[in-house]
Amino acid sequence: MEYGYGGQPNFGQVLFFGLGAVVGATLTANLLPMLAGLNVGDICTVSSQLARENVASTSPVISVSVWVVAMVIGSIAGGIMGLVASYPALRVKEEWFLSMILLVGGEAFRIVVMNTPQIGCGFNGLAGIYNPFTWFNNYIPQSWQTYASTGLFAAIIIAFAFGCFVFAQRIGNSPYGRLLKSVRDDKVASESLGKDVTRIRQQIMVLGSAMAGLAGVFYVYYIGVASSDDYITAVTFSVWVMMILGGYANNRGLLVGTFVIVLLDRGSLISGLLLQPYFPTLDPNYFVYGRYMVEAVILLLVLAFKQKGIFPETRVKTKAYTLFDFGKKNNTTAARTTDNPNQGGKNS
Amino acid sequence: MSNDVILRVEGLSKSFGGVKAVDNVSLSISRGSITGLIGLNGSGKSTLFNLIYGTEKSDNEARIEFDGHRIEKLSPHQRFKLGLGRTFQTPRLFSGMTVLENTMLASKGQRGEHPLTAAIPTRWESQELEFAKKARQQMKALEIEVLYGKLVTEISGGQMKLTQLSNATMGDPKMLLLDEPTAGVAPRLAQDIFQSISNERQSKNTTFFIIEHRLEVLFKHVDRVLAMHEGKIITEGTPAEVVKDQRLIDAYLGG
Repeated sequence: MEYGYGGQPNFGQVLFFGLGAVVGATLTANLLPMLAGLNVGDICTVSSQLARENVASTSPVISVSVWVVAMVIGSIAGGIMGLVASYPALRVKEEWFLSMILLVGGEAFRIVVMNTPQIGCGFNGLAGIYNPFTWFNNYIPQSWQTYASTGLFAAIIIAFAFGCFVFAQRIGNSPYGRLLKSVRDDKVASESLGKDVTRIRQQIMVLGSAMAGLAGVFYVYYIGVASSDDYITAVTFSVWVMMILGGYANNRGLLVGTFVIVLLDRGSLISGLLLQPYFPTLDPNYFVYGRYMVEAVILLLVLAFKQKGIFPETRVKTKAYTLFDFGKKNNTTAARTTDNPNQGGKNS
Repeated sequence: MSNDVILRVEGLSKSFGGVKAVDNVSLSISRGSITGLIGLNGSGKSTLFNLIYGTEKSDNEARIEFDGHRIEKLSPHQRFKLGLGRTFQTPRLFSGMTVLENTMLASKGQRGEHPLTAAIPTRWESQELEFAKKARQQMKALEIEVLYGKLVTEISGGQMKLTQLSNATMGDPKMLLLDEPTAGVAPRLAQDIFQSISNERQSKNTTFFIIEHRLEVLFKHVDRVLAMHEGKIITEGTPAEVVKDQRLIDAYLGG
């Protein structure tokens, strides 16, 4: 949304994502035993991990509420970081300087986290962040336990993603969506029509960063570890590939792009494990890292044949169109078929 | 300060490299008037507009007074909110949006332009419909109604000019700076544009300050003409006075 609608190339997505992850994990690791009345000392130790597991699998109230708090604080932290970053970033002349600043910011963040044991346990990462629905397994027959809590968590993540999608759709088809596109297309002209361009750019950066922070919290809860290895700049570029693939300024396209990339990402991991017995001489890493090659090929194909992505940009659909579109639907479709009798419905 | 002066400018200057594009210009425009600004290419007309609108900053301490407010330190969007509007010489429209979206964007005080209210359509939809009605009337007047669903990259240069004009009037400005509103527009339509400018002035008492090269059309509708040459205003008066002015004739003939 930041780029597609607002026109701001944010190459520091990983900064806000990583921050959300570290803040979420640290908060969880401290709060979980505290609320359970335990004193575990250093949150990086294995014993503290076990204590967290114990709380996560026995106390529904504590684990879910800590998770909610982590989400709220994680996205607030992302948002605040976005606000801070927006001060230097929005005052540079060229869009691409902004992207460079954020790119460097993301990488700097990773290096700082990696080398500072006080932040998220440094190089080793903060392990033992358990699924907030681990306790759910206690109420499920033994044979289903592997899937129950993960399934529940996955369902909730999907619900959240759907909520975000609806939110993005609504914003995209509102006067605010129009406003963002105007800032993207021509800042001077937008300013001339009375739009406070600097403030709008700041807003969208804070909003985007908060969402990335939230995603970071979800990610650590899913993967179980907050590790600096996960905040490499490739994460940012993955997000970009998702967008280029799906189409700019089109939420549906973004959804499809994300789906494809995540499928590749996880799929390559799983296929690596599944196929290994058949190719014992082959390093499973070929599959895991082969995905970057597949991504690259897909990216090149899309750029070569479908520059606007799988779903091109759409109108900002508000009720304003109802005054104009009335009774014209048939005319336009008729015109289209007579214009292009050979191409049929293919013209886009 | 008399009440019927809407814009008063004192001492605007702007240099690009060694060239003085605008050289210590002072002027005043009375409320409800249509004033033309003429001059050769490169005489500083558009730069003067940019300075008045705040798109560019004056080199020296200048004083710009608009509708009783000192505006020289305000940003363009703040000047817009006080009732000053403008168009650009080469149309600057939003290329990813349709003609209707461009016009709708220009509406003033939209409730749905906040990220939080935007997600709740009931908060802004009735207002949106009102603006759409107004946009439709305006687009009808300028004969661009049928283009509503076209991307602005798909329409002709003249149509872009018209779209820009309809954008500029959408916010009901007290004063409009128009930079060559009829360049690239068919002659008949040029007449219509000036007619609609006259109508707008009559119905809403809007003040117009217009850069234009089509003198024959311009002179039919303006009250007063300013002529610029090499960054300075060399003469001003009614069209009949100005055409007789020797300085202007010299400037135009390169004397």
